[in-house]
Amino acid sequence: MSVSKRSQAAAPKPQVKSRPKPNTRVGRNESFSDLLQIHRRLAKNSGRRLVQTPVSSFITVFVIAVSLLLPALLFSLNSNLTSVLAGFEDSAQVTLYLHAGISDADAKEVSNDLLSLETMNYASYISPAQALDEFGTATGLENLLQEMASNPLPGAIVVTPANVSPTAVDDLVRQLQDLPEVDLVQIDSRWLQRLAAISELVGAIGRVLSLIVILGLFFIVGNTIKLAVENRKAEIRVIKLVGGSDMFAARAFLYTGLFYGLGGGILAIALQGIVLVTFNSSLEALMQLYEGDFQLRGFSLANGLVVVLAGATIGWTAALLTSLRHIRGISP
Amino acid sequence: MIKFDNISKRYADGQEALVDVSFEVSRGELAFITGHSGAGKSTLLKLILAIESPSSGQLIANGINLSRISSKQIALHRRQIGTVFQDHQLLHDRSVFDNVALPLEICGYHPTDAGRRVRAALDKVGLLKKEKSFPAALSGGEQQRVGIARAVVNRPRIILADEPTGNLDPALSREVIEVFEQFQSVGVCLLVASHDASLVERLNCRTLVLDSGRLIADQKPRPDS
Ligand SMILES: Nc1ncnc2c1ncn2[C@@H]1O[C@H](COP(=O)(O)OP(=O)(O)OP(=O)(O)O)[C@@H](O)[C@H]1O
Ligand SMILES: [Mg+2]
Repeated sequence: MSVSKRSQAAAPKPQVKSRPKPNTRVGRNESFSDLLQIHRRLAKNSGRRLVQTPVSSFITVFVIAVSLLLPALLFSLNSNLTSVLAGFEDSAQVTLYLHAGISDADAKEVSNDLLSLETMNYASYISPAQALDEFGTATGLENLLQEMASNPLPGAIVVTPANVSPTAVDDLVRQLQDLPEVDLVQIDSRWLQRLAAISELVGAIGRVLSLIVILGLFFIVGNTIKLAVENRKAEIRVIKLVGGSDMFAARAFLYTGLFYGLGGGILAIALQGIVLVTFNSSLEALMQLYEGDFQLRGFSLANGLVVVLAGATIGWTAALLTSLRHIRGISP
Repeated sequence: MIKFDNISKRYADGQEALVDVSFEVSRGELAFITGHSGAGKSTLLKLILAIESPSSGQLIANGINLSRISSKQIALHRRQIGTVFQDHQLLHDRSVFDNVALPLEICGYHPTDAGRRVRAALDKVGLLKKEKSFPAALSGGEQQRVGIARAVVNRPRIILADEPTGNLDPALSREVIEVFEQFQSVGVCLLVASHDASLVERLNCRTLVLDSGRLIADQKPRPDS
């Protein structure tokens, strides 16, 4: 072998390695811009292939989007519930209805005693007269009530516990029930606890569903990539014949998977937006009944990003695993 | 560089393609393989590329024992070999340029460096003007020459060619052989399967003759020419 030609040729590895550093890079694409160029080309080719079969590509993207939509909606519902709960958190209210015949002075003393407890944030006595007043104002029946001979309403003490966790509130209720002056204890925020339990359930369902959806997406993308590999069998065979590794042949499919996942994620956000907007108008009507100005949120940037990232990651990973598996099975 | 040691190849259907073949080709040598159709020429080349594995015997190519090669090593092994396939094996959705660039792409060449090499290879086979065409738009002989350009673009240590002149007229055939001889002169080991008897006769190269899978002659070049 002549030495001059030899050194230009794709020399055997050891020879290349022993050369000084600058030369090892000659002819090798290790620089960032080269990589960028290669990836741009791969991405362009994958994109072109997807556009060439618009209907089947869209169907795949749509199926991915719908799969992502279900857990995304559950999580956004849950985050709404959580934010509702957070707004009411420190308003766990307990009302103690006192026995009839307890004087205002005695009742005030009980109220003050309660306020001095560490477990209590707030305590206030509402006398039967006050209660009647408020009831009258609220119902517009003042005149009628004034004509009543005696006041049927009991006195009450409204307290707010410092610790609002359900067990702490239950403990407190038991304690208060034992007070001799107290007739009945009523937790005004029982519904909040129920809501919290529901929120927890929704969260748990969401997590399980997410796992199932991830598995499902692996199958959807995997099957699509499998067909793509099948369609390009001849090409993969040629690549293998001239020394391309399985990974080299798989590169072409990674962007396909990534694009499916990205497209599915973006479409899922759009669908989620549509669903939320539709829900919001009927929810507004409902909230007006309760004089609330509550709006469904769940369209936060972070939320959308998670959906898109999840789609892209699953798409890419599924493409990598399936394409490698099927390419390995192709022999020239 | 290539050493066959009592190699036999029996296909899964029982077909005996090669029987007890032994020979050796060293670097800087250009050898032809001739024989009737079905004699086992392509099979012999496929064994060297590890496309098929021998049923018995030992085969060493480029210092690698091909009876004990892992699938990862196979890709690396093939990168050291330039091959002209009997059925061209071109990528039909890529231009001539991109087809020839494929081995460089696989080895990770810098795009501008690759471009220079691809054009040099296309120039050697007289196809520089067709670099933007697609294989489907080329004649059989042109496709064959694209395959030849792809086989030599990476300056491999071994070149295998299966009927590289099958679709070429005598003038083009001579040019292709000249390209091969250039590589021979820089130490590349070449193995060319051909049943073009007149071409082989004229060239006065070493010739291995196969008959029904048996190596029946190993003619050295005549010293007089
Ligand atoms: N994949 C295969 N499976 C079974 N038999 C095969 C296979 N490939 C080749 N053969 C058989 O092996 C024998 C040798 O085939 P091979 O392709 O090596 O012949 P060849 O010398 O290249 O012929 P040609 O000049 O026509 O190309 C033939 O009888 C053929 O039928
Ligand atoms: Mg053949």
